[in-house]
Amino acid sequence: MSLDYVKFAPGFEKFMPKEYRDMVEHGPFGKKITVSQVGTFKEILEEHPMCAGCAMTLFIRLAMIAFPNPEDTITVGTAGCGRLAISQAAVPFVYGNYGDQNGVASGLSRGLRLRFGDQPKDVVVMAGDGGMADIGFAQTLHSWFRKEKFTTIMLDNEVYGNTGGQESGMTNRNQVLKMAPLGKKFEKMDMLGMAKVAGCAYVATVVPNNPRRVESVIKKAVLVAREIGPTYIQAYTSCNIEYAIPTDKVMEDAKTVETDRYKFSEYITDEAKEYLSQLYGYREYLPKPAAKMESK
Amino acid sequence: MYLVANIDAGICAATSCKLCTQYCPEANTILYDNEMGREQGLKYGSAYVAVDRCKGCAQCVWVCDNMAKHNAIKMEMIDQIGDTALTENVTYGEKTSRAVLANPVRGQ
Ligand SMILES: Cc1ncc(C[n+]2csc(CCOP(=O)(O)OP(=O)(O)O)c2C)c(N)n1
Ligand code: SF4
Ligand code: SF4
Ligand code: SF4
Repeated sequence: MSLDYVKFAPGFEKFMPKEYRDMVEHGPFGKKITVSQVGTFKEILEEHPMCAGCAMTLFIRLAMIAFPNPEDTITVGTAGCGRLAISQAAVPFVYGNYGDQNGVASGLSRGLRLRFGDQPKDVVVMAGDGGMADIGFAQTLHSWFRKEKFTTIMLDNEVYGNTGGQESGMTNRNQVLKMAPLGKKFEKMDMLGMAKVAGCAYVATVVPNNPRRVESVIKKAVLVAREIGPTYIQAYTSCNIEYAIPTDKVMEDAKTVETDRYKFSEYITDEAKEYLSQLYGYREYLPKPAAKMESK
Repeated sequence: MYLVANIDAGICAATSCKLCTQYCPEANTILYDNEMGREQGLKYGSAYVAVDRCKGCAQCVWVCDNMAKHNAIKMEMIDQIGDTALTENVTYGEKTSRAVLANPVRGQ
């Protein structure tokens, strides 16, 4: 995990596949890349078996473009659709047993701090709503209460997509699914509220129909988790299979859902604001100047 | 046979909006060539699709038609599309990429 780990061993360039050579020579490592530059550099995400047109795939792609230092990042995932793509990228990926991802990430992030001291290494968990709000609920909450410094991203498709359509705690009330034929009996869980109560320093909701906003929240969440405390992003990433959304209407759905019930929201503590403004020049978080002095 | 996205460089290079590139769920699939349109006397470069990576979802078509309002992308059968871009023929340069177009079925 450093710029060196992607480089070729001397003499091996010509034996490496084209995709790998492109990634080393024209990838984002060690550069400042933005989402508006896509299509002109080699992305670290490779081919994977997630469904055509899946919004979760798009979100994962954008998140990986947005990592502030991909060469110093480790992703942690678990069972569920997302890991099929997250594991196919040129950043190390750790697979936690289903629901264990935030426990694994806690140990990893502590270990990296011991080993590398003040050289930041970013740990980013990306897991489904079932893996995070149901099976991994205790570990997710505990990592937040314990102020573990890493980023947790929920890929919220509001269903167990990978296993064919069971309801999760994040499914909306009354939603009928293939394996919830009578409709869900209770409300969607308020994980955002819980993240704030548990002490996350940055919490955001986002929908991938706004790529630059995805980029902005990922960057902030990863930077704040380096020094200040746990961060949480909840992303609406529809499952076009279980919710029967035609693939060419996935962005239309994202737009509608964003307007109706998944509005962009951002919560950030004062400490995190100060950190971002001082270390990373986020002007939006600079204290507002006091009222202008009367001109003489 | 199956459908893949095909971008009309003649329309795309008039505006260079680069929206579809940001919305394709697949990485390294809709790429951008700064010279493609200019060579045809148009104002900007053009987006193009590495069809071997395209999963045929048509999300880019929706984005180009409804968000960009340029109608530059059509879904076409892979064996009817003519010469097009394939990952193995793409080279990256300074803030651009370049594809030597080839027949996607015969690969040359
Ligand atoms: C301990 C354990 N229990 C059950 C499973 C089976 N399993 C695999 S994926 C999955 C559901 C994933 O749903 P979610 O976490 O919402 O992610 P999605 O696939 O929707 O992205 C389940 C139950 C497992 N792999 N491990
Ligand atoms: S099953 Fe649903 S969430 Fe999983 S890859 Fe397919 S569309 Fe995406
Ligand atoms: S959205 Fe349409 S006009 Fe814009 S870059 Fe893509 S193909 Fe070209
Ligand atoms: S059809 Fe889908 S996979 Fe193919 S280029 Fe368009 S958005 Fe990408």
